[in-house]
Amino acid sequence: MSESKLSTAEAELYDRQIRLWGIESQEKLRAANVLLIKIRGLGSEIAKDILLCGINSLTILDDALVTEEEIFKNFLLSPESVGKNIAEAVLEKAQALNPLVKITPDSESVDKKNAEFFAIFTVVIATGLNSVQVLEISKYCRDAKVKFICGDNFGMFGYSFADFQTHEFFEDKVQLTGGQKRGIDGRITKVKSERTVVKVCGKMEYVDLSKVIKLPEAPMKPKRRNIYYYLMLALLQFRDKFNRDPMMESKEEDVKELKAIKDDILKLYQVNPDKFKEEVFDLIFGEVVPVCSIVGGVMAQEAIKAVSGKEVPINNVFLLDPFNYSGREENVV
Amino acid sequence: MMAKASAVPIVLKAEIQKLIPTSKILVVGAGGIGCEILKNLAMSGFKDIEIIDLDTIDVSNLNRQFLFRKEHVGKSKAMVARETILNYNKDINIKAYHDSITTSEYGVNFFKRFAVVLNALDNRAARNHVNRMCLAADVPLIESGTSGYTGQVEFIKKGLTQCYECNPKAAQKTFPGCTIRNTPSEPVHCIVWAKHLFNQLFGEDDPDQDVSPDTADPEAAGDAGVEALAQVDESKKVERKSTKTWAQETSYNPEKLFNKFFEDDIKYLLSMENLWKNRKAPIPLSWSSAASDDGDQEKSKNDVHKEDMEVWSFKKCTEVFSSSISMLKEELANKNFLVWDKDFKPALDFVTACANVRSHIFSIARKSRFEVKSIAGNIIPAIATTNAMVSGLVVLLTFRVLAEEYEKCLTVYVRQKSSESNTVMMTEKFLGAANPKCYVCSKQPMVDVSINTKSMLVKDFESEILKKSLNMVAPDVVLDGKGVVVISSEEGETAANDNKTLTEMGIVDGAILKVDDFLQNYELTICIHHYVPKEKEDPLYKILADMDLQAKSEEGANGKENGASSASAADFAAVNVDDDEDPQEGSSKRRKMNPKEEDDDDMIMLD
Repeated sequence: MSESKLSTAEAELYDRQIRLWGIESQEKLRAANVLLIKIRGLGSEIAKDILLCGINSLTILDDALVTEEEIFKNFLLSPESVGKNIAEAVLEKAQALNPLVKITPDSESVDKKNAEFFAIFTVVIATGLNSVQVLEISKYCRDAKVKFICGDNFGMFGYSFADFQTHEFFEDKVQLTGGQKRGIDGRITKVKSERTVVKVCGKMEYVDLSKVIKLPEAPMKPKRRNIYYYLMLALLQFRDKFNRDPMMESKEEDVKELKAIKDDILKLYQVNPDKFKEEVFDLIFGEVVPVCSIVGGVMAQEAIKAVSGKEVPINNVFLLDPFNYSGREENVV
Repeated sequence: MMAKASAVPIVLKAEIQKLIPTSKILVVGAGGIGCEILKNLAMSGFKDIEIIDLDTIDVSNLNRQFLFRKEHVGKSKAMVARETILNYNKDINIKAYHDSITTSEYGVNFFKRFAVVLNALDNRAARNHVNRMCLAADVPLIESGTSGYTGQVEFIKKGLTQCYECNPKAAQKTFPGCTIRNTPSEPVHCIVWAKHLFNQLFGEDDPDQDVSPDTADPEAAGDAGVEALAQVDESKKVERKSTKTWAQETSYNPEKLFNKFFEDDIKYLLSMENLWKNRKAPIPLSWSSAASDDGDQEKSKNDVHKEDMEVWSFKKCTEVFSSSISMLKEELANKNFLVWDKDFKPALDFVTACANVRSHIFSIARKSRFEVKSIAGNIIPAIATTNAMVSGLVVLLTFRVLAEEYEKCLTVYVRQKSSESNTVMMTEKFLGAANPKCYVCSKQPMVDVSINTKSMLVKDFESEILKKSLNMVAPDVVLDGKGVVVISSEEGETAANDNKTLTEMGIVDGAILKVDDFLQNYELTICIHHYVPKEKEDPLYKILADMDLQAKSEEGANGKENGASSASAADFAAVNVDDDEDPQEGSSKRRKMNPKEEDDDDMIMLD
């Protein structure tokens, strides 16, 4: 894989996507080294999408052991995986998705990794981190100019947030020329319209993720934000506080706790509490594979944009509406 | 008191959790979306799944159809998908059919066995068919499609929502024959012409794909045209034999072929002076001058960039023209005719070379082989991420359908985030209401067909109108009031009518036909209008499902859906009507889906 140019066999394999994002993007992907932190339900979806697109290497970092429940949420595992390290257990099925990508499992804890570890990657994709971990890793990434995206699935809800630092990108825009033309004599003549593809370049700045996930010290009033942004913050706060995610087994207590956290957050951001439907807390338990499929698809696509520099990426938060399944960007600055 | 671990999402209502393992689900199509749907179903606790697909696995599927691997290439998609899913979870009961869903084995009773049908198809004909089957069997259908970064998921239920055919889709783009033969102005015109040339030289004889100058072009009429007509009348007589016969007699001599199509025919076109009064005239190109023009290109050696991505020099075009012809000639030796296939290299090479030479002659931008393949093969780009998103939505809607929470099964569009829009997935606010005049799901389906009743043969009426345009599978047709059986689905029963014109059968202006497709359980009334096309852009026939709808869409600047499906006809060179190729996960191609075609102002913001 040292050669930068695609072989004929690769061109054939990746034909349908090259026709979408072009051969330059494919060559950038081919050179990309990706780190995936934690490979649970959502992680397995991200791994699938990112392996299929044809990157150079994927490092899978996860120190957890496979539990009985996990095999039902992660299609890269099998019943025999129970008790093994999860990064190693997914290797076989992950490799089968694309034999051309070099996959390295790493069973160490993410907390043991230092700045140099992260610096070698093109993009770091993470799931299941607490706020402290996010802020530390995103700082390492920022210093080394490594693109970073992190996300989670909570039941029917999902989100991602990214720090691509200063990101340069381009789009192919279709321009229609022609239509009506006014001649010197003032007469209007119809000109046959033609479509031309124009390369439009852009540059965007991402804010440091501390501005996105860290609660402000004093009350503030930002411009109106997507209400699910506050749900995201509440779930992250819960995770930080209890060192776990809400569980069905302790639903009553957990929801009570979440409501309290949410109330504090809404007060801090001076949001009218009526805007927040508390029924949403019924929907945030466990990993739901079809939701992982959606959020994983969005995150993998953002990672692809980060690597290829093609198309407008989400800056910086993506939120999935757990009631009606719409999904949109929230620009948090 | 921890419950036994299971794949069923614990967050779902208890009643849905209970229904999941016992509900029988049909997935139609094991392509990009199909593979993802199967994985999502299996990982959500569904245990009774059937999958049908007639296709086999190709290398270009492997970048997204992740249940397949390289060693599976050539095998049945449905069968391999089943095996891989069983690898994930042995407890699933999954049945696979390597077959077409449109065959008579899969009748209404087959469909009635399912709680939900999930479409993951790549073509409109099969989508229309499954739509009708689900309406007939009264089974909920979830329809989905992707194209590049965009996609959509739509729930369809009889009597509750619109059906897949309530809003006629835009007809496939076609070009008038004389644009292809006389006055091309875009690369696609030359590519279509080159495919026709391929068929003329190596394919099955099709008079509608003539490549020679069209002297009947109304635009060429006028003195010059007539003159030109008179001048060459003699040579025409000599050349009455088919292009294929002539080519065979020259034993496919590339130089002779080249000079005929790119020099002599072009000179002839030039003699039709009227055509070039307001257009740049073409410049004939001879074999000898083309072969000596090497541009500044270097030799390319198995380099993807050069061979595929760069526009070939004329010299390269002549070389490829010559080498591809000799390979195709060899291929033809043991066959009656060849069928154009974008994945057969000599066929693609031939079309690329010819299209580019013709483009140059008409001062049209030339294209690389990679681009020619896209256009000629009608390839719809497809990626894993969009398929993952769409199939996730499909299964989330499936949960709601099982719980009969139909009002929550709203259409979702996957879009590409752009600098103008923050939307990645957009959900409709309401279920789409059925079109009361839909020619498929309304109480008394009716359609107006305008057609030349004096010239159209019964057999063409059956193949072009009933099967190709109206997507019937096995229609029976009775002339209303007279009880004459015009077409019978019993083989041979009405063979004697095949070559009669509609008029000869008593089908004239104002006639009413009662059409019944037994398989689709679909009865349609057709009102016949006698119609003769006037302008050369006019279609050969028109099928009008709903007058009101068409009027609306014509005035609406936004043109959300294309109103009537005024179909193209035989002598309209269709880019891909006959094209097998994979409109992969091909979407329903609604305008909404294509962000490049639309303004974002029809977006519904939800909060």
